[in-house]
Amino acid sequence: MTVLRFLLPKIAQGVFVVWAAYTVAFLLIHALPGDPVLAALAVKGGDATSTDPEVLNAVRAQYGLDGPLWQQYLNGFFGLFRGDLGISISTGAPVADIIGRALPHTAAVAVFALILGFVLALGFTVWAYIARPAWVRQVLVQIPPLGIAIPAFLSGLVLITVFSFGLGWFPASGTGGFESVVLPGVTLALPTAAVFFQVFSAAVFDAGTSPFVFTANAKGLSQSTVVFRHVLRNAMLPAITVIGLQVAYLAGGTAVVETVFSRDGIGRITVDAVLARDVNVVMGVVIVVAIVYAVVTLVVDALYGVIDPRTRQTLKAKAVVSR
Amino acid sequence: MTTNNHRFVRWASLPAGALVGVLALAGCSGGTETTATPAADADQNIVFALKEDPTCIDPQQTSLTTSLNVGRQIVDSLLDQDPETGELVPWLAESWDVSDDLTSYTFTLQDGVTFSDGTALTSQVVADNFDAIAALGASASLANGYLENYAGTDVTSDTEFTVNFSQPNVQFEQGATTMSLGILSEDTIAATAEERCQSIVGTGAFTLTSYVPNDSVVIDRRDGYDWASELREHEGDAYLETVTFPIITEASVRTGGLTSGEYDVIQDLPYVDEARYTTDEYNLYAQANPGVPNSFVVNTTHGLMGDESVRQAISKGLDRDQINVIAGSVSGSAPTSVLTSSTPGYTDLGDTLAFDPEGAQALLEADGWVLGSDGIYEKDGEKLTVTVTAFYAQDVLEAAQIQLKDVGIDLQLNMVSAGDFFGAIASGDYDMLGAGLTRTDPDVLRVLLSDSSSSQWGITGDDELEALLIEQGQTADADERQTIVDEIQQMVADRAYVIPTLETVQLHASRSGVEGITFDSASRINLYDAMVTSN
Repeated sequence: MTVLRFLLPKIAQGVFVVWAAYTVAFLLIHALPGDPVLAALAVKGGDATSTDPEVLNAVRAQYGLDGPLWQQYLNGFFGLFRGDLGISISTGAPVADIIGRALPHTAAVAVFALILGFVLALGFTVWAYIARPAWVRQVLVQIPPLGIAIPAFLSGLVLITVFSFGLGWFPASGTGGFESVVLPGVTLALPTAAVFFQVFSAAVFDAGTSPFVFTANAKGLSQSTVVFRHVLRNAMLPAITVIGLQVAYLAGGTAVVETVFSRDGIGRITVDAVLARDVNVVMGVVIVVAIVYAVVTLVVDALYGVIDPRTRQTLKAKAVVSR
Repeated sequence: MTTNNHRFVRWASLPAGALVGVLALAGCSGGTETTATPAADADQNIVFALKEDPTCIDPQQTSLTTSLNVGRQIVDSLLDQDPETGELVPWLAESWDVSDDLTSYTFTLQDGVTFSDGTALTSQVVADNFDAIAALGASASLANGYLENYAGTDVTSDTEFTVNFSQPNVQFEQGATTMSLGILSEDTIAATAEERCQSIVGTGAFTLTSYVPNDSVVIDRRDGYDWASELREHEGDAYLETVTFPIITEASVRTGGLTSGEYDVIQDLPYVDEARYTTDEYNLYAQANPGVPNSFVVNTTHGLMGDESVRQAISKGLDRDQINVIAGSVSGSAPTSVLTSSTPGYTDLGDTLAFDPEGAQALLEADGWVLGSDGIYEKDGEKLTVTVTAFYAQDVLEAAQIQLKDVGIDLQLNMVSAGDFFGAIASGDYDMLGAGLTRTDPDVLRVLLSDSSSSQWGITGDDELEALLIEQGQTADADERQTIVDEIQQMVADRAYVIPTLETVQLHASRSGVEGITFDSASRINLYDAMVTSN
């Protein structure tokens, strides 16, 4: 019961996020000038694209873009509950199918980048923490921010040039198997690791100067015990918060990497859809990313309860009150 | 983003037919190889990197170059067109007749042609194809353009049929060579427009094995193929067993992959990389798009464009050779008419379109324009400012902008999305459009400029021109028609209704050892004669 009481507001919050994302995206898309139907027809028709108003109206009706705006808004929103995201105007395929096809590809890269970024940042943090003398540590600390400073576009192309075209270890493109995940995953892991490192290092160095580490050192515990048992554990909590943000970033921020590596994924679909003014696909992507974000946030909140003793105590306290 | 530019270049590069053959380049033997044979020890599988997702494989619906480069291998047409001479030759139809008034076309099909699903090619299937195109409407706008005023097909026997039109239709005969009127199986045309985009069955030398959107297309050789047109270099099955088309949107990855050997052929080599691939290790394939070159297409009812002096001054103020150097392919040349040099019926108007900045200024001054202190002409307090609306080839427009500023004309660029470009056409709200229109027939000028055309871009209000445009479309006699087409080109260039800027070139590259890739009359790739001669 108490867990439910803890989670219910969070779930409501998630639903609100999805609804708000849908509404804002809907308003923004329809506030843009230009005709999405004409844009979508232009994708297929090229220089033979018809500008005949009758033809346009027929196509508009076909893709649910006719009638007053409020009607389109409601139809689209209630369609969500049936899992119906509409039909792509430029390809004619159901949006749910397009996203369903692309999402696993994006997820594979995102998860790989998340894990690798986490491990890289952790390793680097420990290394920087135990590095002596101080100037070496200072130098090490300066390196990770490069992960964000170098654009993914550039690092991706460098990785392709070296590991695909040069060494031939990994494919330069496509979505075939694990090998195809590695290079785009590494490309995305660099900025991810940089963000994790910032959080880890702040927490770890902070903990390093705190009284309990001083005590642990004074007790004569080995350096590794101190680092792993006390210092790192302290760094976990902020890291989990950042994971939530990183997942949202990765879910939407893969466009560049997917373009460089010619991968079929959510990011590239979004770019194509925006260029073609394929409003149904754009709405679908917004919704799916919002749902992913909401679910991750929910999981992170739940993990808080498991990991952070203070949150657990609040739960128990509430339980006491509720009796 | 480079990717987007390339995506958009396709609008200029929707190819149709071409008279000029493959432009000879150092080490380029791809187009004309006749002595080569497939190497016995080399496997006949190639990887051909596409520049973008084909989006829709069905050649009747799409007009995207990338998609048609795939579709051409799977789908045959009734007729074929010699890219060198423009001559039409038999393909699926072994003979055909055109009525004098250009309203009915009678075809006789080859015997024994089958679709890859085993069904036979009959007159009824062809009739159903044309009916289906008409039913597709806006989903197949290019194909419906070729079938303008379609009044149905009479099936006289299993191999004979007559296609009827309610008005003379001069473009249909040539249209029958294009993939837009390519023949699909009965099952394919019975499917919905969306299903057809994913999967098609034709009579071609290859069959579609898989299409994974945004990822790749795979085609396999069809055994028992025996109806290639006489323009091909051999008969029987194609040489290549499998062609895999990965979709590689990033140009530098395509070129890198060609260099490293990951791809055997790449579509759309960026012009800036061209020089690197002129060595013996590579074959380059270049062919100018037929039709109207990249141009300013004028709306005489808007802004200053009603003033013929202004239009002519713009035309004279453009140094087209320089634009070609800046924004074009090494293999290309500056436009010398309002049709590209690769279009049947093209007439050289190099003198009319010569770079003449002094002439431009003299024209303007005679028209009452006075050079202002800022170097831009003005009249009655109004600056000589004109706007061009476009959605690709910004580099071409920027080069023109700089050149026109030297003459005293202020060219404003209005770069929009593809949808907004057609939106501007729909509302008529533009001075000039910056784009090319690709077709394999001089009738393209009627499509572009006639009041009655559904793809009218240029607004001239010129009855004299309109009459000629209609007349050439109803003239069956080739010589007579050519005379009218010459007159139209001269008139359109003189009165500057279309102001050409650049001939867009299709540019592809392969490693040496992959030979026999040819362009068809539509500047699209044909892989039937292609082979691997060495690894």
